[in-house]
Amino acid sequence: MEEKDYIQFEDYLFGTLSKTETEVFENKLKTNNAFAEAFQTYKNLSNYLSDKYGNETESAAFRANLSDISNKYFKEKLAISEEKSSKKPFEFYKYVIAACVVVMLGVFTFNQFSSPSYSDFNNFDPVSLTVRGENDALLKIAEKAFNSRDFAAAEKAFAQLIETDQNNEAWNLYNAISKIELNHYDEADDILTEIANGNSAYKNKAIWYLALSKLKQEDTLTCIDILKTIPEDADDYERAQKLLDQLD
Amino acid sequence: MSDKKIHEDQKYIDGLLKNNSFIIQAIYDKFVPKVINYIKQNSGNSDQAQDVIQDTLVTIYNQASEKGLQLTCPFDAYFFLLCKRKWLNVLKKTSNKEVTINEEVLSKGDEALELAFETSVFGEKQALFAEMFEKMGDACKDLLKATFKMKSMEDVAKSLNITYAYARKKKSLCIGKLTELVRESPKFNQLKN
Repeated sequence: MEEKDYIQFEDYLFGTLSKTETEVFENKLKTNNAFAEAFQTYKNLSNYLSDKYGNETESAAFRANLSDISNKYFKEKLAISEEKSSKKPFEFYKYVIAACVVVMLGVFTFNQFSSPSYSDFNNFDPVSLTVRGENDALLKIAEKAFNSRDFAAAEKAFAQLIETDQNNEAWNLYNAISKIELNHYDEADDILTEIANGNSAYKNKAIWYLALSKLKQEDTLTCIDILKTIPEDADDYERAQKLLDQLD
Repeated sequence: MSDKKIHEDQKYIDGLLKNNSFIIQAIYDKFVPKVINYIKQNSGNSDQAQDVIQDTLVTIYNQASEKGLQLTCPFDAYFFLLCKRKWLNVLKKTSNKEVTINEEVLSKGDEALELAFETSVFGEKQALFAEMFEKMGDACKDLLKATFKMKSMEDVAKSLNITYAYARKKKSLCIGKLTELVRESPKFNQLKN
């Protein structure tokens, strides 16, 4: 190919060829194999570069997140398999004794620790949202309604607040919690997933409440999957681990 | 491709593309153990399995991002075939032994086989494009990076202190150069066939 061919490829892709030039170009693509092949490679390379450099930030964020999840997964997996391989085989009677102990413990603890439910976790700390600003009155209504567990009123007030600032993650979080209380699960889960996928300070809180939403919906498997993604430095990590133990 | 029915497991592709941690975690929990077992049973270890799996997921992500990958088969079969192919390629490179990729034994239908093949060719082409891009001179590399990062050619011209017309001409000639490097490489001709 000559320089003018590549310039023409670019003009065609850019849409700057005239109608007649476009017709001639497309005709050449149909009749000249080498030309068509070079153009296809040129186009593929343009798409490749456009995706690689145009989405560099998103791609880097994906790789970093993937690497975190992968490292955590393999670390845990390795720990479990090492634990398994270091255990020596022991006689059957030991299993029998262990089983008896488990049964006795089970009977003993059944009344106190029967399967966990959402209501074990929905004792929210009072929220304090008011700051000097434009939405003082509405914020007070939202705060008061939430703290007095009037979630219908809280949901309404948060919806009005969010209209004034859709990106306020705190308002979105409390709005979602109110929705869980009102059994508006789909909406709650959508909001929480969005916060959880972001990078705000409420990210881990959102994951925790998403897990609680699934717990309330009795979707135990998804709840477990979500709990496993709460990182060790999260405020709710210990609670999440306890809940995981109870669910497993 | 377009008239084929999209499989419900497309949710895994979409989740990867959206960098959704729950979906990525679910892929590891549900589909990764089988791949680790396979690699361990075929002369590999846990670290190698981790690399193969991560590379495969990045390739799927890239294909979804660049080409709008649509899944027409279960994710399980597709992902397993891809990882397996990647692992056999690693073995091929590291040992002198002849490794045959006998896919019929473990495939779960032609659709998965076809799609996995398509993705792995896509991945190999991407690797070749990256390799050839590195072979170019700095002037071309900088201009192309700026062009595709900034999107507006006016901004690119301004940032490189050249005229708009020259920037556009240079862009087409640099991609042209890259096109030649790719087309001349023996690997490209293997991938075409």
